[in-house]
Amino acid sequence: MHDFEFQRYVTVGQYLATDSPLHHLDPRARLVSGALLLIAITAAPHLSGLGLALVVVLLALVAARIPLSYALRGLVAPLPFILFLALLQILFASPGNEFPAWFTLGPLHTSKMDLLIGSIIIVRFAALILLISLTSAIISTSELVHSLQALLRPLATLGIPTQDLVLMAQVTLRFLPLLALEAERIAKAQASRGAEWGTGKTGILRRVRQALPLLVPLFLNSLQRAEALALAMEARGYHGGKGRTSMVELHFRFTDAVALVVSSALSTLIMLL
Amino acid sequence: MAALIELEELRFAYAATDRATQPALSDVTLQIETGEYVAIIGANGSGKSTLARHLNALLLPTSGVVRIAGMDTRDQTHRRAIRQTVGMVFQRPDDQIIAATIEEDVAFGPENIGLPPDEIRARVRKALETVNVWDVRLRPPHHLSAGQMQRVALAGVLAMQPRCIVFDEATAMLDPAGRRTVRLMMAQLHAEGITVITITHFMDEATEAKRVIVMDQGRVALDAPPAQVFAEDHALQALSLELPPIALLTQRLRQSFPELPPNLLTAPALTSALDALPHNTTAAPSVASQAPPAGRTLIEVEKLGHVYLKATPLEHRALHNVNLVIPEGGSHGLLGATGSGKSTLLQHLNGLLRPQEGKVRIGDFNLNDPRVDLRAVRRSAGLAFQMPELQIFEQYVGDEIAFGPRLQGLQGATLRERVRWAMGLVGLDFDTFKDRLTFALSGGERRKVALASVLALQPAILLLDEPTAGLDPISRRELLAHLQALRNTGMTLVISSHRMEDLARMAETLTVMAGGSSILSGAASDVFAEEGQLRSLGLGLPVVAEIASALRARGWPLSPNVLTAEVLVAQLMEITSRA
Repeated sequence: MHDFEFQRYVTVGQYLATDSPLHHLDPRARLVSGALLLIAITAAPHLSGLGLALVVVLLALVAARIPLSYALRGLVAPLPFILFLALLQILFASPGNEFPAWFTLGPLHTSKMDLLIGSIIIVRFAALILLISLTSAIISTSELVHSLQALLRPLATLGIPTQDLVLMAQVTLRFLPLLALEAERIAKAQASRGAEWGTGKTGILRRVRQALPLLVPLFLNSLQRAEALALAMEARGYHGGKGRTSMVELHFRFTDAVALVVSSALSTLIMLL
Repeated sequence: MAALIELEELRFAYAATDRATQPALSDVTLQIETGEYVAIIGANGSGKSTLARHLNALLLPTSGVVRIAGMDTRDQTHRRAIRQTVGMVFQRPDDQIIAATIEEDVAFGPENIGLPPDEIRARVRKALETVNVWDVRLRPPHHLSAGQMQRVALAGVLAMQPRCIVFDEATAMLDPAGRRTVRLMMAQLHAEGITVITITHFMDEATEAKRVIVMDQGRVALDAPPAQVFAEDHALQALSLELPPIALLTQRLRQSFPELPPNLLTAPALTSALDALPHNTTAAPSVASQAPPAGRTLIEVEKLGHVYLKATPLEHRALHNVNLVIPEGGSHGLLGATGSGKSTLLQHLNGLLRPQEGKVRIGDFNLNDPRVDLRAVRRSAGLAFQMPELQIFEQYVGDEIAFGPRLQGLQGATLRERVRWAMGLVGLDFDTFKDRLTFALSGGERRKVALASVLALQPAILLLDEPTAGLDPISRRELLAHLQALRNTGMTLVISSHRMEDLARMAETLTVMAGGSSILSGAASDVFAEEGQLRSLGLGLPVVAEIASALRARGWPLSPNVLTAEVLVAQLMEITSRA
């Protein structure tokens, strides 16, 4: 009975304080490494590279002491979509395909090449989702904010309001779990008034129709929250990013440099393999 | 030296262009000196919060002058200094915390004024230690109790080292333990020379201040020490306020004991006054034994356990070994601090949650049976959530209330009649309110609409989660009266609350929850007789029980289960007449 636990299947964006060696790196090193791997996985052309990426991410999950069963659960929700994409790729011919067809039926056409492209899609998405779960599990919101602040500081000289943008991101991240909890509460309130939340008898059309009564109060309450938050921020002297200082000072050490070198090497390898 | 806060003929209107609407504040002239302890009270919409927001330039006067430590709030160049002089703690704890960890949230203010990192760290540490949350400084805010969060919000203000702190209904959402600590903090800050201004719906909180300002329709109606303000019951009634619980009880006692002095505001004062009456402590008064409510068992919960987000790294146990038996008819109270599992238990009682461990039976429905018709369960046990008005989604009052019955298949005249009936139960006139916009209603009216929308399903059981939280005294009294009327129609009520006065008034039987378990159950007067245990759980006693307990400590032979003013008066009469 997990009908109302909206948080359950969202492993992306969930920080886990497991206190692993990865957690002890400078947050900038973690963030940049994650970004490098992200780019590499997105751009990698071959299955071998993506296979390596998957292995790297799984090993990193182990190193970060994140239960694999938990990380893999994050794949469950998007899995149907990924399989569907892969199936399209496998069943329909891609242009410029010179491999002999194994199977042809009207517009349907399957060859070795199609199967390969389908597998690439599956592995790429799996590696991407696991990587994002991993990085969000090892970088807390506040670390993300501080490293972004530090990394984006050069842009401020160009007149880009980086501090304000970072604060916006921070507030958004702070309120996402609250939003999930609130959605849960509203769905429950409506279920107790006879709406068919959580009775296990919902068709897709009904789900869409149910969403509206959920979204209206969610939206209004968010506006109220935003107003309250703006007041609280203003009352505490916030007046834009100018002249703000930070309590946290980051220190870049030797191990962080090593981590960066390793992740850059792996990223290059993933793209070249 | 000039006063810290000076308001001169302050007038403020939210929509300055609209001449027809009444201004939110008009003709407010006040002075508050450094080091004062001021309470501002008034009904919803009387302008309390609007006034408070002028004190640190969150709002600027439409006309008139506001000066903080001599600085005019309309002068932009003073804004920063004013915000550092007057800090503010707001009502909802989770809406005022910005950062991902507590420590960084407290640092937010000092970071804004551009202090160096070392200075910020020192101030953060001092502020967190002052409010006693230093040990949990690295936790994310949503893992704290509401009381802890409110203390964090206070720490965020203290780190700015202000001269004045405004608490804008900062205790409204807290349980008794949370309220008590915040009130102690206020007293402590006042003792340290900081000016404390508190806005509150709790009259007993206002009695702790040295000066009470009563607002009414945007004007200052009264401005005097608490003893003087609360001496005039009729004046307060006219301002939609009520006496503090002790003063109300004193008033009731004075009908039987006219020799008691008027305007007693604290429990010790009332106890001493009663103790001064001639009395005979040798013989115990006769106790009228209360028959336990008989009747068929309607709800049965046995060894119930529940774990949220089971089998994820975020799992946490909410319920453990909960036992509960509720007879048909009458009203049952669930008493416990925030986080004790009351809400989770209530959600099991209408099938929103199914038992993971143990058994739940509601009427003829066995929730352990996987084939049970959940919609039928939810229809027979209606649940009104905490702050139910936040879940209103329709534009018109009538549509909102019709949502449930319509899903049941009602339409046309039957549906109309059902909505009319439900609105009648909560005292909303059908013709006046059915076409009103839900978002233009007052807080108390919205709460009634939300309640009517649950009642429209004609449940046999009504489950209420903190029904009076955040309401002003008048709305609260009205709501309780409607609930009492519902109970008299034969509906079974289950009310979760941490307000002792509400439960003492409403509930015949009580179950005390702590740490996710049910630890005490029985007739309300018996449960409230377990004073030591309740206090150790951070819960208090209703005033009558508190006074009785204090008198007992002074040797008065009162019976252990005095809970209503009537019983107290009867027993006091007996003891004093024998002297």
